[in-house]
Amino acid sequence: MMLPPSIVMNTIIGASLAAVVCSMIGVFIVRMNLSSMGFCMSHAAFAGAALGLAISRDPFALALGMATAVALILGPVADKARLQADVVLGTMFSLTMALALLFLSIAPGSVVSSTALSVLWGSVLGITTADLIRLLVLMLTLLLVISLFYKEFFAIMLDRKLAEESGINTKPFYYAILFLCGVSVSVSLKLIGGLLIFALMVNPVSAAYQFSHDMRWIMLISPLIGLASSISGIAASLYLDIPVGSSIAIMSVAIFLISVALSPKRRHGQKC
Amino acid sequence: MLIRLENVHTFYDGEKNSTLKDITLSIAAGEMVCVMGPNGAGKSTLLETINGMLPSTGRVEVFGRDVRRHGPEIRKDIGYMLQAKTFPEDTPYLVKDVVLMGRFGKIGMLRRPGMEDWNAASEAARFMEVDHLWERPIGKLSGGQTQRVLLARLLAKRPRILLLDEPYSNLDCRSVEDVSKKICILHKRNELTTIMVIHDTAHVPDICERILLLKDGRLIGDAHPDEMLSSRTFRDAFAEA
Ligand SMILES: Nc1ncnc2c1ncn2[C@@H]1O[C@H](COP(=O)(O)OP(=O)(O)OP(=O)(O)O)[C@@H](O)[C@H]1O
Ligand SMILES: [Mg+2]
Repeated sequence: MMLPPSIVMNTIIGASLAAVVCSMIGVFIVRMNLSSMGFCMSHAAFAGAALGLAISRDPFALALGMATAVALILGPVADKARLQADVVLGTMFSLTMALALLFLSIAPGSVVSSTALSVLWGSVLGITTADLIRLLVLMLTLLLVISLFYKEFFAIMLDRKLAEESGINTKPFYYAILFLCGVSVSVSLKLIGGLLIFALMVNPVSAAYQFSHDMRWIMLISPLIGLASSISGIAASLYLDIPVGSSIAIMSVAIFLISVALSPKRRHGQKC
Repeated sequence: MLIRLENVHTFYDGEKNSTLKDITLSIAAGEMVCVMGPNGAGKSTLLETINGMLPSTGRVEVFGRDVRRHGPEIRKDIGYMLQAKTFPEDTPYLVKDVVLMGRFGKIGMLRRPGMEDWNAASEAARFMEVDHLWERPIGKLSGGQTQRVLLARLLAKRPRILLLDEPYSNLDCRSVEDVSKKICILHKRNELTTIMVIHDTAHVPDICERILLLKDGRLIGDAHPDEMLSSRTFRDAFAEA
């Protein structure tokens, strides 16, 4: 498939930004055991976007709304562990998935064929300049927030109770992470697709873990590994003519597996 | 009074009944107090109530301020050592990070750790004799080493109050002696107020002048060690379940 260079360029920039954003937030998700939360949010965002298509409103705004709603509902649950979080997440997950499919089924036929698939799998063609700007602003916001409150996030990621002990008020930071996670999911949705975003949040970070015992390095190399997944994914997608979202997800898994194989942590009889 | 509790009840989330029941207690600056009682008596809960990490009713004042209103602020001057805290093997943090982190609350938001903070951290590590582990991943230490690092973390904060939850639980007998001596040195030198949960009567330091006895969430004894350890209340507290 031959695509106009401008579209290819947009895709590369968009996917790279999305990868960096997702793996930056992924560091928090992996370290703080929020995986199921992130998973749930990405599906909620997906359902939101589907709703947008069904009622002909901005899918992005609705995706953001749904993801944020999930964060607000599930945040306190996971926070206090009053209910078993997994049970709630399982219920939410099936609900959001069912809603997404329901919305897609009632969306007008012509829309479904093009846009709906892009929400599901991610799309090369649909990226607009507005999307790119959104991603860029989000990335810069994340960089700013993380560098301003680096110390607090660093401590909370080790252990929330210890952070609390040292005199940090952890609650606002915890919710900030959930909120930023929701925003990242919603903004990246269109590119990577609702079903695969999660791969880009978790896999690069899991790969980074194979190489370092130092959180600073993990925070630094995770986005780089995300970037590598995304660029190699786009290349594969162009050559093999497969959807870009799946291609990026597959690459991120491949990079993770290679990292496990190469990991100095796993080498026999060697301490690091 | 540095620490004052009046009719305090502490609740855990989702529990109907309070875990600590009607505790009234004052501790003056400079006191060294040991807390004893059977498993599940509420000793750890008492420490977390004092530093405001658990919700409670009644009055809890430290430094003359309400811990429920000023929790994070007050915790900057309290070193609390969690009971038997360990880290999974692959925890991506180094010993130096963990020690320095004790000061993060104190440093304050939007500010980076400076020379002073690193100096306090490495001085604390030297004092606890864990400076040789400085660059090691925290998850790869032994239980006793972790315990010393966590103590160093508290000291890095330069606290005015120490709350220690079974500080000897992972230590061999020589280390117990050593750490115990260090706690006493600090207590005197820095004019600290220390509250320490212990199980073994042999671990009551010589300078301790007061033992609190807890059972089923109630304070059932408060006396000098000589009196407490030979009392009937003390023996009965551990008698049956
Ligand atoms: N997170 C929690 N949620 C509900 N109940 C709790 C929680 N933590 C402790 N408890 C209960 O509160 C009571 C007091 O617990 P606490 O940990 O204070 O005991 P302790 O005196 O420190 O015991 P130990 O000697 O075993 O450390 C126990 O009955 C315990 O079951
Ligand atoms: Mg305890």
